[in-house]
Amino acid sequence: MATTEQVKQYIAAGLDCTHLEVEGDGHHFYAVVVSEAFAGKRLIDRHRLVKEVIKEQLQSNEIHALSIVKAQTPEEWAKQQG
Amino acid sequence: MDIQETIKQTVTSSPVVLFMKGSAQFPQCGFSARAVQIVKACGVDDFMTVDVLQNPEIRQGIKDFSNWPTIPQLYVKGEFIGGSDIMYEMFQSGELQELLKDIAQA
Repeated sequence: MATTEQVKQYIAAGLDCTHLEVEGDGHHFYAVVVSEAFAGKRLIDRHRLVKEVIKEQLQSNEIHALSIVKAQTPEEWAKQQG
Repeated sequence: MDIQETIKQTVTSSPVVLFMKGSAQFPQCGFSARAVQIVKACGVDDFMTVDVLQNPEIRQGIKDFSNWPTIPQLYVKGEFIGGSDIMYEMFQSGELQELLKDIAQA
């Protein structure tokens, strides 16, 4: 079982994010991830990247499930906020 | 025939193929139900579904094929697109409608 703050830290430790939101109930988490690392990557590869970063926590079931609500580049994120 | 070969043929046998739990009429999992709804919302009513609960070899085989651990899995023109999260995100941005517009019924 993890807190949303821990999940945030796990993601941020492996991926340089300009914006990161995590919500959840200790088992199922939802994340909005904005990172330059996503540039030029298809959505499937962006999701793979985030899942790879928290692979250990997913395998140990510390994080039971993570839904990626958004995986955007800073440009895409800014456009959408505008 | 080898299971991976069977899957390869299956994903290219129809323009839109959804590997899911249950059928389009009776999905056996909330994520699979959501995936069906998203495809339909893009205007594609006639698409192929494969119920992985009917075949344990396919259930495991499709995960190996895509190197993706969960079901449902959407394939468009033989290409793996993603699971229900990715489908929803692409639907929200309009990307999925764009991808399926040639296939969507007028």
